Amino acid sequence: MSKEFIDHRNHVTRRHFLGKLSLGIGSAALGSLLIPDLFSKSESPLASLGLPHFAPKAKRIIYLFQNGAPSQLESFDYKPMLNKMAGEELPASIRMGQRLTGMTSGQSKFPLVGSYFKFNQYGNSGAWVSELFPNIAKVVDDICFIKTMHTEAINHDPALTFMQTGAQQGNRPSMGSWLSYGLGSENKNLPAFCVLLSRGRGNGQGVYSKLWTNGFLDSVHQGVQFSSSEERVLYLKDPEGRDRADRRNMLDQLSQLNDLNHKEFGDPEIQARVQQYEMAYRMQTAVPELTDLSKEPDNIIKMYGADCLVPGTYAANCLLARKLSEAGVRFVQLYHQGWDQHGNMVGEMPLQAQDTDRSTAALLMDLKQRGLLDETLVIWGTEFGRTNYCQGDLSKENYGRDHHPRCYTMWMAGGGVKAGTTYGETDEFGYNIVRDPVHVNDFHATVLNLMGMNHEQLTYKHLGRYYRLTDVAGNVVPGLIA
Amino acid sequence: MKQDAAFHQQPIGFLKSLTLFILFLTTFLFAFESRIELPVWLQITGRLHPLLLHVPIGIIVLAVLLLLLRAQFKSKQFTLLITYLLLFITLSAAFTALFGLLLSIGGDYGADTLQQHKISGLMLAWLSYGVLLFYQSSSEIIALKHTSIILLLGVVVFVGHTGAGLTHGENFIWEPLQKTQPELDPETLSLYQLAVMPVLDKKCFSCHNEKKAKGRLIMAVIDKFKQGGESGAAFIPGNPDSSRMIQFIHLPLKHDDHMPPDGKPQLTQPEIQLLKAWIKSGADFDKKISDYKPNDTLVLLAGQNTSFNVAPAYTFKAASADVIEKLNTPFRTVFPLHVNSPALQADFFVKEYFEIKTLEELKQIEKQLVSLSLSKMPVTDADLKILSRFSNLEVLNLNSTAIDGSGLENLISCKNLKSISLSGTKVTTESIKSILTLPQLKTVYIWNTAIDVAGKAELEKTYPHITFVHNLFTDESTLALSKPILVNEGILKATDKIELKHTMPGVTIRYTIDGTQPDSVNGMLYEEPITIVETVKLKAIACKPGWYCSPLFESSIYQEGYKPLQTELLAPADKQYRGEGATSLTDGRKGFVDIFKEPAWLGFRDNNFEAGFDFGNKPPALTKVVLSYGDNLGAYIFPPTEIQVWGGDSKDKLKLLMTQKFSEPKGYRTPHMNFITVNWETSNHAYYKIIAKPISKLPLWHGGKGQKGWFFVDEVFFY
Repeated sequence: MSKEFIDHRNHVTRRHFLGKLSLGIGSAALGSLLIPDLFSKSESPLASLGLPHFAPKAKRIIYLFQNGAPSQLESFDYKPMLNKMAGEELPASIRMGQRLTGMTSGQSKFPLVGSYFKFNQYGNSGAWVSELFPNIAKVVDDICFIKTMHTEAINHDPALTFMQTGAQQGNRPSMGSWLSYGLGSENKNLPAFCVLLSRGRGNGQGVYSKLWTNGFLDSVHQGVQFSSSEERVLYLKDPEGRDRADRRNMLDQLSQLNDLNHKEFGDPEIQARVQQYEMAYRMQTAVPELTDLSKEPDNIIKMYGADCLVPGTYAANCLLARKLSEAGVRFVQLYHQGWDQHGNMVGEMPLQAQDTDRSTAALLMDLKQRGLLDETLVIWGTEFGRTNYCQGDLSKENYGRDHHPRCYTMWMAGGGVKAGTTYGETDEFGYNIVRDPVHVNDFHATVLNLMGMNHEQLTYKHLGRYYRLTDVAGNVVPGLIA
Repeated sequence: MKQDAAFHQQPIGFLKSLTLFILFLTTFLFAFESRIELPVWLQITGRLHPLLLHVPIGIIVLAVLLLLLRAQFKSKQFTLLITYLLLFITLSAAFTALFGLLLSIGGDYGADTLQQHKISGLMLAWLSYGVLLFYQSSSEIIALKHTSIILLLGVVVFVGHTGAGLTHGENFIWEPLQKTQPELDPETLSLYQLAVMPVLDKKCFSCHNEKKAKGRLIMAVIDKFKQGGESGAAFIPGNPDSSRMIQFIHLPLKHDDHMPPDGKPQLTQPEIQLLKAWIKSGADFDKKISDYKPNDTLVLLAGQNTSFNVAPAYTFKAASADVIEKLNTPFRTVFPLHVNSPALQADFFVKEYFEIKTLEELKQIEKQLVSLSLSKMPVTDADLKILSRFSNLEVLNLNSTAIDGSGLENLISCKNLKSISLSGTKVTTESIKSILTLPQLKTVYIWNTAIDVAGKAELEKTYPHITFVHNLFTDESTLALSKPILVNEGILKATDKIELKHTMPGVTIRYTIDGTQPDSVNGMLYEEPITIVETVKLKAIACKPGWYCSPLFESSIYQEGYKPLQTELLAPADKQYRGEGATSLTDGRKGFVDIFKEPAWLGFRDNNFEAGFDFGNKPPALTKVVLSYGDNLGAYIFPPTEIQVWGGDSKDKLKLLMTQKFSEPKGYRTPHMNFITVNWETSNHAYYKIIAKPISKLPLWHGGKGQKGWFFVDEVFFY
């Protein structure tokens, strides 16, 4: 088990040392008189770690982030009223003067528009799913839909940053980094937090490394971005003419130098670097096996779709995510771009769905048939929803939808999640929440809870105060937990 | 001497009168206490009581000590000294009693102890006055005088004790001796009694009990606690932030209403969190731990604040931390399920480093191991014998190991096994049966094993209480393959060949380089890397029985060809897109179709692209040129409308070798890289000039119709 959490408490930096020196000696002397076991060895270093706080429901997370905001109204939040009232103005009683983006605030009309795609109910749970997602529809009984996610930001960058780091402004540690910090890596031969990117065929929005930054946490907790090329982890091969023994020798010499440096300066970053070198060395053995898809049986390729053999596709990332997670990677973060349908919903949404539907469902089932779904939390999420009214030209054949932070749909499956349920309800216009809202902070609190951590106690002191993923808010949502 | 005595008598006389006045005043106020309305400024004097009360105590102690040392003094001086001390005792005791009375009117204290303290305090003041008079009297019984002073000390102790009882709580002194650790039993006691009440008892009850009831709030009695105090309810169930007690706790320490008051032991952060969590969850006094969800914040906080075990799930002892630490290697991790849990889980990673010894070493934690993953490790059936020692094992992952199931019978001693994963192994319907009688077994994962659908049905019939998880994703429909992959992207050197591959085993790749469409029978079969002598458009598909052929893969493959010795631009590129000048054309660097600011690109709009290429004294025989260009119509970037090739001995002696015109695009298309080949009769010129004309008027269908278009070129190749 990782000791990062306790190590943080133990690190003595120059500032800490000077700060504590004056008080320290006197109080230690006094303390040793009054507390007899002050200087005796603590009973269990693992007990003092304090994490996980309680028995976790899930050990690992695979987070399928659909970047750009896929429309909830064309996927999982069925609103027949919008089809009935298509073309009519969004009632003021529903809009209630709420904020719009600069992209549609200038529109003179806000005509409602229903889904172009048909919906049906599936599974024992009777969940509504649009025809664009026929494979996810097959696995709804393993899924817990959250219809009432809501967020504070209305534009991509802040909303995305909020969703992934708990703050809109950036520079905070991302979810995966908090997990890595709190729980450490299961498999010391791989990073605890891996990031996989792919690009769809719809209008895209950027993703950037601040979404997988370690923020103020130690840099070992940073997400490691896998390349979309064939060589998924860059620079992992030894240079030509150099073998493993050379590399080992070089690392041994280097770490001696680094140790000297560490003794002199005591900078914890030096240790972090030595650790990273060592892990990279072990990754040279562990990674090729993981990224080699040639040994996957034919039926696995068929499950995920043939694209899973093409590096850099969403399907390939799903398959790789399964392999990484199976190998004990704590947090695998996928980003799939192309979901920003301000216009051409009818043209782009099916392409996006085609690229993701099959492999998403396959990932769930693949985990399940290996007995891993029980201990893996799979999250399908995004930064916000889309408006129930049309952005731009509305025709029978096509339309677009703007950003909508007041309600959107996400879903979770696997470890500890109430499978086969739908949580929360939006109004019949799909504009406001009528029951059981789930704020982004609540979502984070719930995810940490599933991982065995109390979100109020997973803290890191920085700039004079304790920070949390949920900062000063967030409530665990019991309705999502089995 | 007499004068001396008179000099000393005078202030004594005045002070005695003052004392008597104060005593009468205090007694009067005490008698009519209930009718007094106290002005604010007098309340302040009342609050001086805790300060002043130490004065008479100190002096009485001093006086008694001096009595013991009286042999050291001259008798007369000694009498005078004691007289003074008695006077100061009387005076300070009188004032202390008065202030104390005023304090009691302003505050809320438990009735019984307070009454005792008041009466005894007043009596002390009168008594000390009496002792003073007695000491000054002409009585000769010195011993009696001295005894009366010692008696006074006794009274002071009693008064002080009753007073201390008011501020520090009853039984303040003896408490540490009496305290026995009561057994906290989560079975019988509520969470409030177990965790919340002990905190309140330590930090609040001393002022908020039935006797002292500050602010008329009695917290020590549940019903009265619920009622609240004089300013209202102490807490609002479910809403800690609006609850008065939480608000008061959070006030600045110096604030009058801060609780506990400055100087008293303060609540710790975990204690505050606990109180908040308790109020938030409804401030229930009766619910037991078991009534809450195990992960409830309140239960967790309660567990931290008290010593009882929140989740007594496992009865076995924890392994020593040293053992656990030693078992952890990069390829084997061992850690507790959660903090304070004796149960351990172990995982093995990277099969190259697996040795059976590493599994055997786990016997040091054979009792504690509840979850074990050997997924993908080269474990054989014989090795399973080691697992028979792990009697508390609940979850076992043997996915993709080398077992066929014949060794599973070893697991029969793992009576607690709940779930076993055997996916990707060679287990059979027969070999698996040896473990299916395990009493706790609920789930068996048998996907991708020798057990087929019929075998699974048979097992389900025989063992209905066990869930067998088999193939979960069945889809009989035919799918398309993915495209072939080009291994060597970029510009090929003279000796390089085109390499294609496909990540699925057993596919055939067919390709063309002449622009025609390959399909499952047409086109060349890819068997070895393809040799090309010039830039070509490669088209390829992958096919495999049981799958549809892949979509078409298309790519321009550039061959570096003959390199000119020198290159120059004869007309300038647009100042925004100058690249690195003429060298951009032959530097072997391809541009990207969406980043035209890159130095690989040269952009032209207002004038033609016009470049000269010098092949020196021994020019090669050339017959064609390839211009690689960007096609991004939405960004006004078009193919050229015309290309001219000029050749000659030098820049000044050129003749036109070829002109080629191109029709304009008919509509928008996906941005892409493209190339144009222009052929001419083989020639050996030293110098060539290439001219390409950008589109001068964008077509009518285009958003920028009528405006000038761009031409972007990144490389020029000669063959």
